[in-house]
Amino acid sequence: MRKISIISFLVTIIFICVSWINHSNTTPIKFIVPKGWPQPKYDFKNNPLTKEGFELGRKLFYDGILSKDGNFACATCHQQFAAFATFDHNLSHGFNNSLTSRNAPALQNLAWQKEFMWDGGIAHLDLQPLAPITAQNEMGETIENIIQKLKADSEYRKIFKQVFGEDNINTQKVMKALSQFMLLLVSNNSKYDKVMRGEANFILPEQLGYEIFKKKCVNCHTEPFFTDFSYRNVGLTLDEVAKDYGRMKITNNKSDSLKFRVPSLRNVAYTAPYGHDGRFFSLMNVFEHYRKNMIVSNTTDSLLQHKMPLSNYEIGQLTAFLYTLTDSSFLTDKRFAPPGYNITPNFIHIH
Amino acid sequence: MKKNLIVFVFLIFVVSIQAQQNIQLQFHHKVGDKNLQLFTETYSNAFNESFIVNRFKYYISYITIMDDKGKQFIVKHKYFLIDEADSNSKKISINTSLKNIAAIEFTIGVDSLHNVSGVQTGTLDPMHGMFWTWKSGYVFAKLEGQSDSSHAQGKYFGYHIGGFRTNENALRKIRLSIINYQLSIVNIKVDILKWFNAVYPIKINQTAFCHQPGALALQLADNYSNMFSIQP
Ligand code: HEC
Ligand code: HEC
Repeated sequence: MRKISIISFLVTIIFICVSWINHSNTTPIKFIVPKGWPQPKYDFKNNPLTKEGFELGRKLFYDGILSKDGNFACATCHQQFAAFATFDHNLSHGFNNSLTSRNAPALQNLAWQKEFMWDGGIAHLDLQPLAPITAQNEMGETIENIIQKLKADSEYRKIFKQVFGEDNINTQKVMKALSQFMLLLVSNNSKYDKVMRGEANFILPEQLGYEIFKKKCVNCHTEPFFTDFSYRNVGLTLDEVAKDYGRMKITNNKSDSLKFRVPSLRNVAYTAPYGHDGRFFSLMNVFEHYRKNMIVSNTTDSLLQHKMPLSNYEIGQLTAFLYTLTDSSFLTDKRFAPPGYNITPNFIHIH
Repeated sequence: MKKNLIVFVFLIFVVSIQAQQNIQLQFHHKVGDKNLQLFTETYSNAFNESFIVNRFKYYISYITIMDDKGKQFIVKHKYFLIDEADSNSKKISINTSLKNIAAIEFTIGVDSLHNVSGVQTGTLDPMHGMFWTWKSGYVFAKLEGQSDSSHAQGKYFGYHIGGFRTNENALRKIRLSIINYQLSIVNIKVDILKWFNAVYPIKINQTAFCHQPGALALQLADNYSNMFSIQP
C-alpha cells in the first residue's frame, strides 16, 4: 500500500514537471472571424497565434535587419497610416536608390487571401516575405544572411526561443512570426461595417453611392472584402518600360495578359496612388479611366466591353460611399504601431 | 513467466534488427564518361558546344525500394537535395527489411503540397537557393555554367527547372531496375549530357537560360529524367 502511494506520488511529480516544461511561456490569441464573414483561408493549425509570436512578427516587420543595408524594413513600404500601403508613392523606394516595379498594396484581411501580389504569384502568406527580402529593388538581402544576423542577435535569440520553444532560428520561424503580425491586420470597423451591423446610418450621398456601387462595382469589388480576389483586365494600357503583363507572367497563358488582382477598396481614401503601378493619383483619375480612358482589348473584362458610363453625379455619390470604407481604428490601432510606440510616428515615412 | 516475456521481446528485437538491411544509394555525377569537376574541366555536348559547369543540384523524394516480388518500401516525407558541391549529399542511406532489391524509384522535384504549405525546413528551407520567390515554388533541378556558345553576358548559361501548377508540372518519376539483387550499394550514374540531348535538343547558343516553369522547363525535365542509370 505504502509502495503504491509513493509510486503514485512520484508519477504525479513527474507529470507536473513534464507539463511545466511543455508549457511554454506563450499566451494564445484567438483569431476572431467578424460576423457574417467566411472562414479564413490561412491554416492557423500550422501557426497558432500567440501574443508573443505576434509581438515578434511586429518587431521583425519594423526592423531594417531584414534588409541588406539596414534601411528598409517591411514598414518602410507598408505604413500603418496608409493602411500598410506606401503613403503617397506610386512606386516605393527600395535598396540602393531603386524603385519597386509595382504599387505597394494595403495589407489588410490577409487571412482570407489565398494568393499574394498583384499577379497572385505567391501561393502562401508565409512565403510572401521571401520576395521583398531577396528582391534587389526592395530589401536586397539573402535569406541566409538574415538568418545569420538574427542568430547573432541575443535579443532575437531570446524571443525566438520564447515564442517557438526551441533554440534554432530558421527561415520558417521568421516567416511564421511575420505572418502572425500580418494575419491580425484585420480591418472591419469602418463606417460601412458599422452600418452593416446596425450601429450607424449612411447619410444620403453615402446611401446613394452604395446603391450605385452595388450595381456597377460589386461584381469585382465584392463585399465584405471589396474584392473577389480574381484577376481582371480593366483596360490599363501596357507601360512600355515596365512591360508588366500581370497574371500572364504567372500562368504563361495569353488569355491572362494585362490581368491584375482586383484590389480591395477598404481604406481606399488612404491608399492613393492607385492601380497596380500607381498610375492613378486620385479617385477622380480612376473614375476618368473607367468612363473615358480605358482601352478595350481582347482580354478586357466582359463587364467593361463598353467601358463604364459614370455621370459626375454618380462619381460624387460613389466617392462619398468609398470614404465610408475608412477604418480609422485600424489606421491608428496601437497594436500595429512600431514596438514601443502607441501610434505610428511620421518619421517612419523617411523616403 | 515474466522472464520468458523479456527473453521473447529481446528475441523479436534481435530478429527485427537482423532483418533490416542497409542500402546506400550513391550518385555519381558525370558528363558523358568523364567525372564532373565543377569550374575547372571543359566538356562538350552533342552539338559540339563546349562548356564548364559551376553548379549542379536537384531534389529527389519519394524514394521507393522494390523487391523481386513487387513489395515496396517507401521513404516518406523525405526530400534530399543532391548537390555536386557537397559530397555527403550524394550518398543516401536507407534501412529496409526488404531483400532481393529489384528496382528503385524516386521523384525528381518537390510535390505540389510542399509548394503551397508555407515555409518548409531542412533540405527544403528556401535558404538553399532552390526556391523562386516571385512565383513561389521550388526549383527542382539546377544546372549552371559557362559556354562560349552562350550569347549572354559573361557567357553564362543556366537552367532552373521546376513547376507544380497545372500544365507546368515538372515532377518526373524515375525507375531504375537492378539486376544484381544482392547489392547493398547502388551506384547511380547521373549524366549531365542528357540535359542537352535526350528527348529534345537544347542548344546553349539558342537557349542559354530557363528561369521559370513552363514549356521549356518541361522539355528540360523530360531530358534530364533520362540522366539516371545504374552502374553495374
Ligand atoms: C521596397 C518596398 C517594399 C518592402 C521593403 C516590402 N514590401 Fe511588401 N510589397 C511591396 C510591393 C511593391 C508589393 C506589390 C508587389 C507585386 O504585386 O508585385 C508588396 C506586396 C506585399 C504583400 C502582398 C499583399 C497582397 O495583397 O497580395 C505582402 C503580404 C507584403 N508585401 C508584405 C511584406 C513584408 C512582410 C515585408 C517585409 C519582409 C515587405 N512586404 C517588404 C513593397 C515592399
Ligand atoms: C471588371 C471588374 C471591375 C469592376 C466592374 C470595377 N473594378 Fe475597380 N478595379 C478592378 C481591377 C482589376 C483593378 C486593378 C487594376 C489594375 O491596377 O490593373 C481595379 C482598381 C480599382 C481602384 C484602384 C484601387 C487601388 O487600391 O489601386 C479603384 C478605386 C476602383 N477600382 C474602384 C472601382 C469602382 C468605384 C467601380 C465601380 C464604379 C469599379 N472599380 C468597378 C476591377 C473592377
